Amino acid sequence: MTRHPRVRRSLAVLAAAGLALTTAACGSGSDGSDGAAAPGTPAADAAAPLDPAAKVTISIDCQPPANKPAERKQWAEDIAAFRQLHPNVTIDSKDGFPCEEPAAFTAQLKGRTQTDIFYSYLTDLDQALDADAVQDISAYVNETSVPALKDIDPSVLATLKADGKLYGLPFSNYRMGLIYNRKLFQQAGLDPDKPPTTWDGIREAARRIAALGDGVNGYGDYSATNQGGWHYTAELYGLGGTMTTPDGKKAAFRTPEGRQVLQNLHDLRWTDNAMGATQGLKWPDLMTQMSTDKLGMYVGAPDDITYMVQTLKGNYADYGMGPMPGGKAALLGGNDYLFKKGLTPDQIKAGIAWIDFKFLTVGKGQFDYARTRNDGLPVGLPQPSFFTGASLAADNAAKSAAATVPVANYAPYLAAQVPGRTEPANAQQIYKILDTAVSAVLTDRDADLDKLLATAESQVNQVLANL
Amino acid sequence: MRTLISDVQLNRPRGRLVHRIVLVVVVTGFTLVFLGPLYWLVTGGLKSAREVVQSPPTLVPHELHPGTYAEAWRQLRLGRLLSNTLVYAFGALALQLVFDVAAAYALSKLRPVLGKLLLGMMLATLMVPAAVLVVPQYLTVLDLPLLHLDLVGTPWAIWLPTVANAFSVFLLKRFFDSIPDELLAAAAIDGAGPLRTLWSVVLPMSRPILGVVSIFAVVNVWKDFLWPLLVLPDPRDQPLNTGINSLSLGVPQNVLIAALAIASAPTIVFFLIFQRNIMAGLTTGSLKG
Amino acid sequence: MAATAPRPRPGRLRQRVRHHLTAHGFLLGAVLCFAYFSWYPMVREVVMSFQRTRRGRTTWVGLDNLDRVVHDPAFWQAWRNTLLFTVLALLLGFALPFLVALLLNELRGARTYLRVLVYLPVMMPPVASVLLFKYFYDPRHGLFNRILELLHLPTSAWLNSADTAMVSVVLAATWMNMGSATLIYLAALQNIPGELYEAAELDGAGLLRRIRHVTIPQTRLILSLLLLLQIVATMQVFVEPYLLTGGNGPEGSTTTVVHLIYQYAFNFNNYGSASALGLVMLIVLAGFSALYARLARHTDQD
Repeated sequence: MTRHPRVRRSLAVLAAAGLALTTAACGSGSDGSDGAAAPGTPAADAAAPLDPAAKVTISIDCQPPANKPAERKQWAEDIAAFRQLHPNVTIDSKDGFPCEEPAAFTAQLKGRTQTDIFYSYLTDLDQALDADAVQDISAYVNETSVPALKDIDPSVLATLKADGKLYGLPFSNYRMGLIYNRKLFQQAGLDPDKPPTTWDGIREAARRIAALGDGVNGYGDYSATNQGGWHYTAELYGLGGTMTTPDGKKAAFRTPEGRQVLQNLHDLRWTDNAMGATQGLKWPDLMTQMSTDKLGMYVGAPDDITYMVQTLKGNYADYGMGPMPGGKAALLGGNDYLFKKGLTPDQIKAGIAWIDFKFLTVGKGQFDYARTRNDGLPVGLPQPSFFTGASLAADNAAKSAAATVPVANYAPYLAAQVPGRTEPANAQQIYKILDTAVSAVLTDRDADLDKLLATAESQVNQVLANL
Repeated sequence: MRTLISDVQLNRPRGRLVHRIVLVVVVTGFTLVFLGPLYWLVTGGLKSAREVVQSPPTLVPHELHPGTYAEAWRQLRLGRLLSNTLVYAFGALALQLVFDVAAAYALSKLRPVLGKLLLGMMLATLMVPAAVLVVPQYLTVLDLPLLHLDLVGTPWAIWLPTVANAFSVFLLKRFFDSIPDELLAAAAIDGAGPLRTLWSVVLPMSRPILGVVSIFAVVNVWKDFLWPLLVLPDPRDQPLNTGINSLSLGVPQNVLIAALAIASAPTIVFFLIFQRNIMAGLTTGSLKG
Repeated sequence: MAATAPRPRPGRLRQRVRHHLTAHGFLLGAVLCFAYFSWYPMVREVVMSFQRTRRGRTTWVGLDNLDRVVHDPAFWQAWRNTLLFTVLALLLGFALPFLVALLLNELRGARTYLRVLVYLPVMMPPVASVLLFKYFYDPRHGLFNRILELLHLPTSAWLNSADTAMVSVVLAATWMNMGSATLIYLAALQNIPGELYEAAELDGAGLLRRIRHVTIPQTRLILSLLLLLQIVATMQVFVEPYLLTGGNGPEGSTTTVVHLIYQYAFNFNNYGSASALGLVMLIVLAGFSALYARLARHTDQD
């Protein structure tokens, strides 16, 4: 639970494609090669499309579980449709919830018992490489096997690369922003279509929302289970700072921006008295508060809104999303599929073909909004957000056309287009240390911000030096 | 049976009054402390998703949503998880009773060479946090040395490691130690071998400790959640504890509470039905004296 | 140690060999299970504590892992927390069940009912109890703060504050687990021959003196055994804080040593350090047990 529990929610956004047309990649069986199997495929062949005659079986995890019947149904439909295109490819799906549990993930990497194509967080590549459990797929991924490749956000792909080699493909991601309660904005006399974009603006709005009384807080933030450090990082990115030096060896947050993040929280909590006395919050406390109309704003990811509606029974109409305050950069996170070491070339090709079919094709698979809508799942949330350029435009158009949620509520977030920035290496260890600083600021009126920052810096340096 | 305070003392007027007061206070207090949460559990499952996180909380649900229970049962596949748990718990119990009783008997009464060393090595395992051993254990279960068997995904991966329970062996051994050797000598004179002595002399006298060990065996399986998560990768095979924990963040709070209530019910009912038998072993006469 | 009857008389070598073989036959099943699932993994664990795996290559790093562990800012905090948890858990989890057992043993009329009550939580899946307590502890909509409010007492942040998080964990853990200990104590109490109390009473011993001179000596064996086991077990506390506070708790206030081990192994991709810290823990516990065994022997001799 110390990773990003948020990512568990990504299942909720897993929507999928209907019985679809052939995608360019999979359909191009043009080189009707007769050799049923091409053993010892030379590297040159890696770029060639999957041989339709090759019999391949691949296992894959993170199939939606039984308590997500709509997503599960879509998965089955997509498997069937994929089977039509590739009669010789058998996909062996494993469900499980959450898709990644830290202990099981580690044990499976050590024992090499993960599925052939396996789910991970974007921050997990290092661990998989250390366990020598992943396969370099650079040679297999090209404009033919993944037609949308050029439109995939390079900063997302970068998290799946090491030393220039690509080890996986993304399928869902988020960029953080400001989530706010439109109902409370209205009640406080604020314009729900114009969320604040600076911390001064947030303070002003938070004061007015907190003035509503009845236990309503203007702003909320996490400060436990590493999520305090995680949000600190996100807020620092928003102001243009970074957590570590580019080589990842030293802390780099003891800067005016780094201090400002703590100062903002301190002011909101103590000067403006807009955060309430209950601190030490962790996921999903803020969502619980907001869904019961007790919280005005917090920093979060788009799928928080899905969680508030589906699990906490709130209404889409009540929640809006604005850009990350500061607007310099937004923390980017998400999930991907990695390829297990030792797969045959045909298995790799089949795996890429499936991921492309299900997750990376505009209008198909998870982006088939008509089907998602028919299945009663929400359409219109700004997530995943790994497309750029033409694919982004096409996807946005399709999404708006089929939207079941008030897309306009996320217009401020979408319009700002804050660039994504990925999490620092060894994120969890760094977050854990920053948790303490954030918590101290929120529970001690007289906290010495400079001292907290200095302590955190030296501790982070200590941890990084000891890696 | 005579206890700390004698019946005579209790039957004096003052004694009776004090007893009365203490009884009422204790019964009320215990009922609140131990049944109160269960009341909250059962009624929480009947509340709506909003009411269950409402501040202040409500003592009696405003409107009843019994459907939540059905939803929880279906969404969390509780029936399946429950039957898995029973299979794991009772399999582990059977194996532990056979192997650990035999081992404790050997250590206590047969005293083979190196017996003390083996006991010491067993007790040393109590010092190692389970969380540390989880990965090497997992690697072992994947490929048992010498035998090259892969137990992952089979109930054996749960059952066999539970036999390596030093606490049970130790409790049993201490208890067997208290059985006078003369009784065993008498059996030996009658020509009984070690197995028959164990079966017809030692075991019948050991009901209290067998009860305790059995309960612990079942409870340990019942409680574990990290290990089953690793060795039973298919969620359909997992026990209740692991299954519920995995799903706890993915369902509404009221459904979760309903699921907890359902999950708690079978063992509680089982316990209530058999509590006489479970406790009986403990109340039978003493062997010390 | 006195010779036991089933044991052969000396001199008969063949019979002796056969006896030992039979005895080891009885041991075989359990020993195999220990060997496979405890001893061998322990050895592997020790080996791993001197190794490090990077990019698929495992190398020997000597004491580097240990060095890293000791210099982790969380190291001493984790030990402090573990100690605090152990002390609190013993005050509550050891003393309370004993008092409850004493009480239950006297309340003849309601004994069965009370015994069942105390044991009920043990029968619940622990995840259920933990999640239930988490729900009760919630500072905003939780039951506990509501009760405090109704009694006009100051409310608490429970798990959300660094000051109260650990106590809250202990309270929940005690509720969940005290049934087991109570049951054992009760069994021990019921094994005390009634004549001893009668004799003490004839000597004019009052209630407290009867407890001191009869109850406690008669149950000392089981009490001291359980005390050791409980210390060892509580120092390894993991599940309760992990589920209640996510492990670390506010400002690391519930990070226990075992949780730190868990984090190294599964969150920080650093199995070597996890093993090294595991080894430290093992040594501390073993040292503690040895000390305890010595003390116990001394008291026995008194």
